[in-house]
Amino acid sequence: MTIIEAESLTKTFRTRIKPEGLRAGLRSVVRPQYRDVEAVKRVSFSVEEGEVLAFLGPNGAGKSTTIKMLTGILTPSGGSSRVLGLDPCRDRTRLARSIGAVFGQKSQLWFHLPPADSFRLLGAIYEIEPALLARRRAELVERFGIGPYMDVPVRKLSLGERIRCEIAASLLHAPSVLFLDEPTIGLDVVAKREIRVLLSEIAQRDKATIFLTSHDVGDIEKVCKRAIIIHHGEVVVDESMKELKHRALAKKFIGVKYAEPVRFELPGLKPVKVKLAASDTVAIAGADGDCAASGTEGSARDGAWSAASFEVDTRRHRLPEVIRALVEKGEVLDLTVEDEPLENIIASVYEARSGEDASRAARPGAASAADEAATGAARPGESAKEGT
Amino acid sequence: MSGNYLARKLPKYGLAADLGLRNRLAYRGNFVGSLVTYGLFIFVFSRIWAAAYAGKSSIAGYDYAMSVWYFIVAEVSAFGFGHFYSSLSDDMKSGQVAYLLTRPYSFVGYHWAQAMGQGLLDAAVLLAGGILAGFLVAGAPPEPSVWRWGLVVLSLVIAGSLQFFIQMAIAMTAFWVEENTAFFWIYQKLCLIIGTFLPLEFLPETARQIALWTPLPSVTYAPARIAVAATAPEALGLVGAQLGWLAFSALACALVFRAGRSKITIQGG
Repeated sequence: MTIIEAESLTKTFRTRIKPEGLRAGLRSVVRPQYRDVEAVKRVSFSVEEGEVLAFLGPNGAGKSTTIKMLTGILTPSGGSSRVLGLDPCRDRTRLARSIGAVFGQKSQLWFHLPPADSFRLLGAIYEIEPALLARRRAELVERFGIGPYMDVPVRKLSLGERIRCEIAASLLHAPSVLFLDEPTIGLDVVAKREIRVLLSEIAQRDKATIFLTSHDVGDIEKVCKRAIIIHHGEVVVDESMKELKHRALAKKFIGVKYAEPVRFELPGLKPVKVKLAASDTVAIAGADGDCAASGTEGSARDGAWSAASFEVDTRRHRLPEVIRALVEKGEVLDLTVEDEPLENIIASVYEARSGEDASRAARPGAASAADEAATGAARPGESAKEGT
Repeated sequence: MSGNYLARKLPKYGLAADLGLRNRLAYRGNFVGSLVTYGLFIFVFSRIWAAAYAGKSSIAGYDYAMSVWYFIVAEVSAFGFGHFYSSLSDDMKSGQVAYLLTRPYSFVGYHWAQAMGQGLLDAAVLLAGGILAGFLVAGAPPEPSVWRWGLVVLSLVIAGSLQFFIQMAIAMTAFWVEENTAFFWIYQKLCLIIGTFLPLEFLPETARQIALWTPLPSVTYAPARIAVAATAPEALGLVGAQLGWLAFSALACALVFRAGRSKITIQGG
């Protein structure tokens, strides 16, 4: 069953331009000028019941604006959306009973009062029967481990403790859909991990549909099953986390460690880290693409090395052949093959200037074909060639 | 509207008022500050009136004690309920208020309940302090009676709600204009001149006639006039007018919210 549906959802903000200088400033008082900013451009997607969706994008991409339109806070400038079959804007109050929302940067708890008071108020706001409220509260307090904080004024809680209380509070009325806007922002690693575990649990146990925006790749990898990447207000990627990782994983990182120092190059293969044999120096390679100790001048180029890490573009080099070439060079003590961190993949989409570029960045196959057509340089499948 | 329906709907507003009140209690220093300022105002005005009444027993039907007690009660409304705007406006401009839209309640009603919980506590503290100060600087209030002071309290409660709806409507103009402080400033100053510092009877006849067509007399004049001079029928008339303006301002506030809701713009984070 489709729970969230967005069809050409658009939001344009009108911003007043404040010109520089006194004369221009005075002129703008009499004749103000405005600029239209298209924060979200004809975004379409749907989310099925029970899905855990990551809604990603760099700052200013339009993800928070989208979440605010889906929760009925903002009125769209164009297009339409339906959440649980309701129009979020027109049926805001009705929809509010079935959705929960946590905005990491804003608090729904009363700052000077203990969370217990906010829970009581939320129970009344959602018109939960007292007996049911007591049961839900006890269950959430136990699951989220927030018992010791319930009678402490919110202002005295740490951010991690507060966010746990915020999420628990948003679940009090057992919402079918939970919107989380950067819930782990500003949290330390331990607190982040705790929140991720709790979110995964909510998805599995409560069967709630989760719509999560975050800048933290860890949140996405650990919690979400599907990712939508929005950039410059447009959807550039919409696929399962598995596909996103798999499709974008054109790059592999191979780490190799030899028993004896070696001296060779693999043309076209890019070392990202080289451990020189003469010293314990670790050189970070430049982007020239040639192997060996190319990261440091002189001594590195002449010197032997004992361990290195290579970035392998699997569109250009077949992985087994690269491995075979490396193994033939000496007695290998250790060999590792790692995927490109998801963070890099997302960063490459973020760095793209326009929505169209971003789509290409997310689809290496398309990018490679385009590159090839443009330069004629890339030859996918070409094997690594042994150098001297 | 069935009793069941109300039993389900009302607790949320009752609790919002309760939490507003308790939130206000979090810093008891707040009360000390406002009581000291209020006390200082009463002292200064009692001296001004003492100078104005030198050699006169009455001005526009008010004697010295009536003028001082009038000011004491009028200031309870002006001071106790006069600060809703700043927090509402800050919330509107920062977009914080938008996050409260994801709840199943009347947005205006929830804010009213919360503001009244806080405002009634402020007003009660000020009134208690004001009564004490009044006895010290002007002696007993004129013609005290249970019905009179009962109506003063009722009139103050209505004035508080009226103040809330007017200030909320002004704060919500932030949906259309970037800077709306000037609107509140004008309202606040008009309130002070018309009915707080001076009873309506002190104003020139034309100004008084114009003022009677505005809600301003219901904000501070009505409770203060009831406290010092109004006969029972006049007092009931004043409370009736207050109720009329209250209904009008609540409706206006709801309409402003409905019209402005689609204008909410909170970009980014």
